[in-house]
Amino acid sequence: MHDTLTEPPPVVSASDRETLLHNLQHAIDHAGHLLPAQGPITVFIHHNTLHAFEDLTFDEAVQKGSRIFGCQPYLSKERYRAELARGRILPGDLRTVLRDDLGARADEPILSVGTRFDLRLAMLENRLHSGPDAELRWFIAETDALRHIRQEVPAATRSALIGKTRHWIMRDVRGSTRNHPLLAADPKSGRRIHEMLADLLRHFGESSIETWNDETWEAFTLQVLWRVCREGVHGLHNFTPPPPESIRHRDLLLRATTVDIDPQIHEILIRVCASFLDQGFSNWRMPHRALGFYRAFMILYEQPNGPPDTWLEDLPKELKRLGDNNIGPLESILESLQELGVAEAEWEEYLASTLLALRGWAGMLLQIETRGDRVTHPIPEGSMLEFLAIRLVLERLALRHAAAEALDFKGPLSQLRHAAKSRIEKHPPLSIDQRAFQVFQLAQILGWLPEDLHRLTKPEWSKLVEEIEAFSVMERRRLFHQAYEFRFHTQTLDALSIQSRRSTDRIPTAKFQAIFCLDEREESFRRHLEEIAPDVETYSTAGFYSIAMYYKGLADAHFVPLCPVVIRPQHWVVENVADSLEQTSRQRAKARRLLGNATHQFHVGTRGFAGGALLAAGVGVLASIPLLARILFPRLTANIRRSASGLVRAPQLTELQLERSESTPGPEAASIGFSLAEMTNIAEKVLREIGLIEKFARLVISLGHGSNSLNNPHKSAYDCGACGGTPGGPNGRAFAQILNDPRVRELLVPRGINIPEDTIFIGGFHNTCNDEVTLFDTGSIPETHRKDFEEATRIISDTCDRNAHERCRRFISAPLTMSFPNARRHVEGRAEDLAQTRPECGHASNAICIIGRRSRTQGLYLDRRAFLTSYDPTQDDAESSILARIMGAAVPVCAGINLEYYFSYVDSYGWGSGTKLPHNVSALLGVMDGAASDLRTGLPWQMVEIHEPVRLLFVVEATPQTMLQLMDRNPVIGKLVRHDWIKMALLDPNSSRIQIFRHGEFQDYQPQSSELPKAASSTDWYRGWRENLSFAAIEG
Amino acid sequence: MLSYDLIFHLLGLCVVGAPAVLFATLGLSTLLRQRPLTERTISRCSQTAIVIGLIASVAILGMMLGLGRRHVPINLGTWVHIPDYHFVVKFEFDRLSVPFAILTFVLCGTIGAFASRYMHREPGYNRFFVLYSLFLLGMIVTSLSGTIETLFSGWEMVGLSSALLVAFFHERPAPVRNGLRVWVVYRFSDAALLIASVVLHHLVSGGDFDKFLGTAPWPDGKAAISGYEALLVGLLLLAAAAGKSALVPFSGWLPRAMEGPTPSSAVFYGALSVHLGAFLLLRVSPILQLSPLLCVVVVLLGLTTAVYAALAGHAQTDIKSALCFASLTQVGIIVAEIGLGLRYIALVHILGHACLRTLQFVRAPTLLQDRRILENAIGERLPRMPGFWERMLSERTRIWLYRFAIERGYLDSFLNDYIVAPFRRVFTWCDGMERRSTDLLTGGKSRESDRAETASGPLEELL
Repeated sequence: MHDTLTEPPPVVSASDRETLLHNLQHAIDHAGHLLPAQGPITVFIHHNTLHAFEDLTFDEAVQKGSRIFGCQPYLSKERYRAELARGRILPGDLRTVLRDDLGARADEPILSVGTRFDLRLAMLENRLHSGPDAELRWFIAETDALRHIRQEVPAATRSALIGKTRHWIMRDVRGSTRNHPLLAADPKSGRRIHEMLADLLRHFGESSIETWNDETWEAFTLQVLWRVCREGVHGLHNFTPPPPESIRHRDLLLRATTVDIDPQIHEILIRVCASFLDQGFSNWRMPHRALGFYRAFMILYEQPNGPPDTWLEDLPKELKRLGDNNIGPLESILESLQELGVAEAEWEEYLASTLLALRGWAGMLLQIETRGDRVTHPIPEGSMLEFLAIRLVLERLALRHAAAEALDFKGPLSQLRHAAKSRIEKHPPLSIDQRAFQVFQLAQILGWLPEDLHRLTKPEWSKLVEEIEAFSVMERRRLFHQAYEFRFHTQTLDALSIQSRRSTDRIPTAKFQAIFCLDEREESFRRHLEEIAPDVETYSTAGFYSIAMYYKGLADAHFVPLCPVVIRPQHWVVENVADSLEQTSRQRAKARRLLGNATHQFHVGTRGFAGGALLAAGVGVLASIPLLARILFPRLTANIRRSASGLVRAPQLTELQLERSESTPGPEAASIGFSLAEMTNIAEKVLREIGLIEKFARLVISLGHGSNSLNNPHKSAYDCGACGGTPGGPNGRAFAQILNDPRVRELLVPRGINIPEDTIFIGGFHNTCNDEVTLFDTGSIPETHRKDFEEATRIISDTCDRNAHERCRRFISAPLTMSFPNARRHVEGRAEDLAQTRPECGHASNAICIIGRRSRTQGLYLDRRAFLTSYDPTQDDAESSILARIMGAAVPVCAGINLEYYFSYVDSYGWGSGTKLPHNVSALLGVMDGAASDLRTGLPWQMVEIHEPVRLLFVVEATPQTMLQLMDRNPVIGKLVRHDWIKMALLDPNSSRIQIFRHGEFQDYQPQSSELPKAASSTDWYRGWRENLSFAAIEG
Repeated sequence: MLSYDLIFHLLGLCVVGAPAVLFATLGLSTLLRQRPLTERTISRCSQTAIVIGLIASVAILGMMLGLGRRHVPINLGTWVHIPDYHFVVKFEFDRLSVPFAILTFVLCGTIGAFASRYMHREPGYNRFFVLYSLFLLGMIVTSLSGTIETLFSGWEMVGLSSALLVAFFHERPAPVRNGLRVWVVYRFSDAALLIASVVLHHLVSGGDFDKFLGTAPWPDGKAAISGYEALLVGLLLLAAAAGKSALVPFSGWLPRAMEGPTPSSAVFYGALSVHLGAFLLLRVSPILQLSPLLCVVVVLLGLTTAVYAALAGHAQTDIKSALCFASLTQVGIIVAEIGLGLRYIALVHILGHACLRTLQFVRAPTLLQDRRILENAIGERLPRMPGFWERMLSERTRIWLYRFAIERGYLDSFLNDYIVAPFRRVFTWCDGMERRSTDLLTGGKSRESDRAETASGPLEELL
């Protein structure tokens, strides 16, 4: 370790050093941008996994991301080809997107063999076998690749190929073999082909050539073709540059020796990171945690008699040196980089790849240090940098040890990369066989004759092969993906253009009106509600109802922020019990406290020494009762538990403290709540956004939503995204309470919103897992509205059953023959089942976001795939400020959800968190696989399983001018649209004309079909199907 | 009386036969059928087998209580008989084995029901249940065995299925690495058990428990060997038990075994398999009685493990590690109880602990919600409960102990550097010598495997 330290350090002046450190800090900050941006799992926020790359276009970003992160950018080409086979992609789609992609270059001829378009289409449509040399050789030797022409080749091409080759051989070749060499571009290669043909003829028995049957000729043709191809690609350049050499010492050492230093470093780092970040799980806090990662690690590992691993022998000495010389974390990183011989130009890339080796934990450190307000135990700023410093110290030690052991390298570490590189065997990216086999397969498909091929000159061969290799597997997958999305977008826009021809008139007197979150899971709920009661109107808005608040329920311990994560609430709201029940409430709180303390003591006790022994030996056997009950009869057990806990539950008669008496908002008693003016503003904002400012029904129901399930660390990801990954019931309730306030209504009148006196708002909560709707404050509904209310409750309850039924079609474990009430029972059971890894499907299959009037889409079966946001363009002002507001919130949220699902599906283990079966909650912040792994970010496979990875298609009721202005005004939206992270289409507010954003402008969309399938009800349409369904008009 | 014997015999056959038939069904169908059985069929089969086994074992318990019989041997014949050796397949139902078998059926049954939903649509569903049935069979055979050979075969089945279940997600490197580690430790303990049985054969010319543990029903047997012999055999058995029950110094594999799906961690490492070492010691407890020194060693090992695990568990930050060190603490205490001769207490302790820990393991993923509920009930953040000893230590010791705890006592490093590495060096040296001599004989490179090419990168998709 010390031979390099005895080397005199390069002499640098103090100011140079300052600049160096400054640049280093900059490089680290930049490298940090690549880390996953997922915060604590308890408040799960969906975001674009490649958010850091939004300055690039989608395709550039996923391909760059796939190189940096080592993950897949698209589905595999086999998968796309399977989609082609089952009709999810049509051959016509491939042609359309290919032509669009190539533009003017499509019809350029490639030598004499065809156009670029034909070549690429053939490469897309047909499975071209490729693989490592050994595999190819096996394939050629063991299959009938050289005996039978590929099956998909049309009969005409096939017979032409064989027939013409036969003519050529019989007429030209055999005639010429005895006299003069064959005509070939290059005499040397001509001679070789001549020899090869002679050899082949001999092998096949030239003497009996006149009696060869078809099969022999077929095999002979293929043999000739294969040899011509091999000869043709011989000696060509490489057109694709080899992938860039890795920059990390560890990668090079691994390739040179198969020794991997990362696992041993990670073993230490995972433990220390988890202990450092722990949010209160462990009973033993990390000593000196407050001093920061660097110091805490030093104090911990500086002590003697530590880990006996030989590679860590020098660790205490090294840490002591750093401590004694007062070398800070940043200086230490500089020192490490210098010792490792990393030049300044490489810093950013080197540090990024080093950080990405344990990206989950490093990312979590960065998240917690920047958003300390979101956790119980914040950590000091700069923790990620300090982590990097320690990581590099460990890396140096490990490299030195491993290099000496495995590579017998004892020189300075700055030379290690060079030494390792010299030990790595170099292979050309593609071997002759691999290249030849591509041409060989394409020649069969496109009917290229050996006779023509063998006449090509070397430059022509070079051009042909370059053309083929330019259409790399990656390019093919990109195009496949475009076709995959194109099919879906076409279907959607066709359906919308047909359905939106209907009248947009509102119902004159609605039975009641219901407001939902824009969440795509509410689409089916609204559809069923409208089917059951056609005289009900539904609306939707972001599920926090524009009420950004810290909320604390009667039985809650803490305030929870209920608003999108980008907003920091300024207001606090609490739930108070009715005066008459205060006594009961206090008693029950006390009882809960006692029970809670006892339970906690019991849990911790069972993990202890003496307490554990007493409890296990004494009452342990009793644990078998809840164990059996909960696993074998989850729903029954849950009911029993609920009734039992009813004894200590907080009283249900409560109200929200929404109005404050102090002038400034705050968390203390009198400052809790909003001012009257603020409440009026909220009311007006939401009503205008959804376009409900007249024709109020007697009842208006505003529902928040959330999801309840067991054994699900990712529960928060199923909750309302607009409420920051928390159930949004209180928001719906607060909204109703605000709008029931006569003073608010009075203030709304001068603003043009006249809410009739007999209109009553009711807040509620929709549990998207067990499909239960709870309505709040129903005790205060006046007698006059009882009947309306009872009818509404009945309708909603029926809707819950039907919604559950529609959801059940996606659960393989739910039979397709269930009745509505059985479906409801089924989803209730799922929510309470400890063994259930798919309590609900979450946002899976989301693909569309429609911003416009419900009447434009009503009656369209959207298969729970569309975020629906109510917006009435006829009510908007000239600047479209309402639309700007709606889109400013909806676009980033919906795109974030959609892109997170895209990535977690496309590479479940790479971008997502893999299967959830081995997940293990660590530090109360995230999940690991097993007992020690990187923190797994992204979504688990069980959550995205039924997703279809397509980019979100926005359909907005607006004009191109409006939208282009809006894209200019809001750079986030502009970037997402212009860089193809989302697809933008516009529905004309006055007609069914659709325009779509392509190549930088809105172009008219030509519908491909004029008919939409019809069904009497949603159930009729989906019954019996488990897969994604196409759109249909429901005409009840 | 004869008819009772017949009934016992039939019921006993059911207890052992049900898991065996289950394993045969699932295993053979995997080998012979093109497509594996459906999830439904698999879960039906395992439920049926477990219910039959459970009813039969409860019936045996009932009959034993009713008839006042404390010991029911069921002999399935002598399979090998040569002058100095015979191999009998024999199962014994007594106060130790019957509760253990019932526990196995109850927990495996519950976890089977759990897994049939938890593993739904997992590509390895069939494989999981094949291994699960092998594990079940192994547990039943081990707990009911009447000879050390039968015990050994059950012991092997448990080991094999456990290691393969740790490596269940074999497409990732970490589970495979950890599965291999578990397997190596298990092999070590298997070797100890095998040597112990060879030694016993030499001493009493037979592996039947009633030969060397006495014919009196458990736990009153009197071992038929001398004190020194007992010490030797006992130490070997203790080594076997230590590997299986993750006692010091083998404890490192237990947290590593959490790589598998949650249900397998729950039942195997939390509840059943980790108690198997303790069960072995209970079974041979008459031997322990003969040697006070052996008892002292057992107690010390148990207490060391318990203290170590309590210390390490105190600092763990993830739920599964915390639970498995909690398990280990209790297993250590159970071993100490056995060393002290408190056999019934140890048995009750095993039963209670297994049920409790299984419940905690299957609920592990719900930790975040549970904590939230508790915080809401208490009205504040959950209080930390520091050990009383934390205050009594000096700062320096505390930091040292903290590192010791999060590093899990460096046990794996010790094994790596002081046992595995020397082993490897010796064998690498031997390999080098062999190569040199064969090269010399052939007069050139003699090893064909050196020339084998490895397939190059599968990154074709990313080109």
